Formats: sequence, structure tokens, C-alpha cells
Amino acid sequence: MWGTEWPRFEVMKQDTPRSPVQMVGSVHAADPEHALLVARHVFVRRPAAYALFVAPAEAFFHVSQEGLKDLKPTRREGGSEEPYWVFAKRSHRRSMVYGDLVGRFLAQGPEDAIAQALLQTQGVAFWAVPERLVVGTEPKEEVVESWFAPAKEKTYRLQSYYGLITAKGVEVNRDA
Amino acid sequence: MLEAYLKDALVARLTAWADDEVVLAQRLSEWVGHAPILEEDIAIANLAQDELGHAKLWLELRQELDGSDPDRLVYFRDPLEFQNAILVELPKGDWAFTMVRQYLFDAYENLRLKEAAKSAYPPLAEAASCILKEERFHLKHSSLWVERLGQGTEESHRRTQEALETLFPYVHQLFQPLPGDEALVEAGVVPDLKALEAPYLEEVTAHLVRSGLRPPEGGYVPKSRREHTEYLWSLLAEMQSVARWDPEAKAW
Repeated sequence: MWGTEWPRFEVMKQDTPRSPVQMVGSVHAADPEHALLVARHVFVRRPAAYALFVAPAEAFFHVSQEGLKDLKPTRREGGSEEPYWVFAKRSHRRSMVYGDLVGRFLAQGPEDAIAQALLQTQGVAFWAVPERLVVGTEPKEEVVESWFAPAKEKTYRLQSYYGLITAKGVEVNRDA
Repeated sequence: MLEAYLKDALVARLTAWADDEVVLAQRLSEWVGHAPILEEDIAIANLAQDELGHAKLWLELRQELDGSDPDRLVYFRDPLEFQNAILVELPKGDWAFTMVRQYLFDAYENLRLKEAAKSAYPPLAEAASCILKEERFHLKHSSLWVERLGQGTEESHRRTQEALETLFPYVHQLFQPLPGDEALVEAGVVPDLKALEAPYLEEVTAHLVRSGLRPPEGGYVPKSRREHTEYLWSLLAEMQSVARWDPEAKAW
């Protein structure tokens, strides 16, 4: 059946208090709070996490390098501004991460926010999302400790790490 | 260190806690590949692994006391020797059933572990505070689901209320003392479970009512942890089959 999918949320993750906030992928969820919870399950194990943010995927404005020349940042005198988060993908190198947070920009629209970000950084693609739609985990010790710390101690191993059911034998039989 | 006279009682206590985790983990793992959405499939696999990790911690504490091998206990004990509560062995049911059970269990774990973290037996206090961190997040996940299902559609509400009717009476079993508990409680080694029941019922009732659900009154409460339903047999048969098939395997 069509139209029964939950909305998609982009997930942004910060590995440590000093790491950049990065777009790491997306999840389907019923609402932002639910999106944060499933994002924790899906994304925090590798390698670590300090904070997570989600925002509805449809709220993102995005533009690639080729599209930048057609970007028309409109600024009206006295027009209303709001803060945007702008992310940049810096290269085509294969990566688990889409974009790094360039910064927060007070802008009249997403195009305007990206135009401001372009003064600071280069990139092959850009995203902008209004800050009011971003929902994040609280930067409290209590949250970090229960959402992220336990996952950090869990080592992710490829299946091939584990042996096969062949290691039988010699010593066991000797003991018997 | 632990006084010798408390040893057997603590072994029984740790086994009961571990068995709850093992059996619940097995029920959760039955959803892997079948959850309503990929994200929740990953989440539930995570929860199952976490619960299994908690069982491992309890069984390692037991190993320090009596030298028993955790793997042998899990994979080679017969159903009648399992000390889990009936709440965790009931078949997985639908998503509402799974989430209501998880919520009822997580809320109990949070209360119990908070108290157990103050245990006079340091290894137990340490394990409890370590598990509690993870359980606080589990509770977030399951309480969110109960609220969404309870207040969701007519169908989700009906299924959630039905799950609650079946599951709720069984929560009382979680608070029943084992025969040796009194001495452990007196020595400050484990929390007094009976004393936690009232605050537990108050807390979960408030959340269930907020979620538009009605906890049922009465119902059958098992008399001891030696009591089981037929469902435990098939669960253990599946869980133990590989280990029993090739007991000499050294790695899998």
C-alpha cells in the first residue's frame, strides 16, 4: 500500500564534544522524538556519539556544486530572518558521512544561508535546514551516559571475527 | 566479601535475574527480520543483545560464587530448572504485546537496579549501576511506544489494551521474594522487592493512564518462579538446539 510510510528524518551526529556535527543518514519514524530513539539504535555504535539531532528530511533545502551558479539568494530589506544550519559535503571521496556542519547562519531563506556559508567554505554539495525544526538530545551527563556511553564500549565485529564450528577436539578429548 | 551463609541465596537470586534476561532476549530476537519497520528491527536486535549482556553479567557474578559456567547454565539446563518469571516467556504476540511487555519489564528493571546499585556487595552494586545506564534508555524506548500505541489509532489502542489485560497480572510475580531473599535483604545485598511493588504500580499506572490505557485488576499471579507455561519448553528447545547438537564445539 502506498502512503503508509512514516516520514523520513535526516540524522545528524556528533561523535565527541569537540567533533563536528555530521549528517550520517536517515531513519523513518512516527515523530521527531521517535526518530531520535531509533537513530540512537541505528547510528551510535560506530564509532561513538555525544549528541544526536534529527529534522524532517523534507525540510532540507539542498544544492549541488553544479546548481550553485543558479542559486538565487533573495534578501529583502527588513525581511524576517531565522537561524539555519548549513551542511557541506567537501569531496566525492567515499565516506559514511554526507555533510559536515559549516555553522548556523541567520538568513532570510535557505539559499541565503548557503550563500553566507559559501563565504567560509567550499563544497560539492550543500544542505540547509531551519534550526526550529531540528530536535536534539540534551547535552546532559545523564543522557550521554544512558544513550551513548554503553554503546561505545561495545566493539563491532565483522562476522568473520567469530570462528566456525570446527574447533573441536584435541584438548577436550585429552581431558576426557 | 560475601558472608558464607548468604552464598546459596545469592546464587538463586542472580540466577532468577539472569533467567529473566535470557528468556526475554530470546523472545525479542524472534522479531529480527520481522519487525514492522527496518529501524525497529535494528532497535529490537539491539535490545535483545543488551538483555543478553545483562544476563552475562549476573551469571558471571554467580560464577565467582560457585564456579558455574554461564554457557552451561543457559544452554544445558532443562526448562524446570529455569527461574524466569512467566511475564518474559509468553509468546511474542503482536508488536503491541511486545512493547507493553518490554515497558512493564523495563520499568521494573529501572526501579530494582536503582536500589541494587546501593548493594552492600560491591560486585553486585557495580553490575547494577552499569546495567541501569542501558536500562534507562530501554525504558525511554518502550514507554514511548506504549504512549504512541495507546493514543494512536483505534486498532493500536485495542491491541495495546488487550496486551495489557494479559500481561499485567504477571508483573506481580517479579516482586515475589525467593525463599532465601530475607537474609539477603537484611544484609543489604539485594533490595527488598516487596517494598518496590507499590511505587512500581504507581509509576506504571500513571504512564498507562496517560497513554489512554487501563491496567486491569486481579488476574492470576504465579505462586513461584518454579511455575512455567508450556511456552518455555519450545522457546528453550529452539534456543538450546545448536549447543546441544554439538556440545563439544569450542567456538561458534
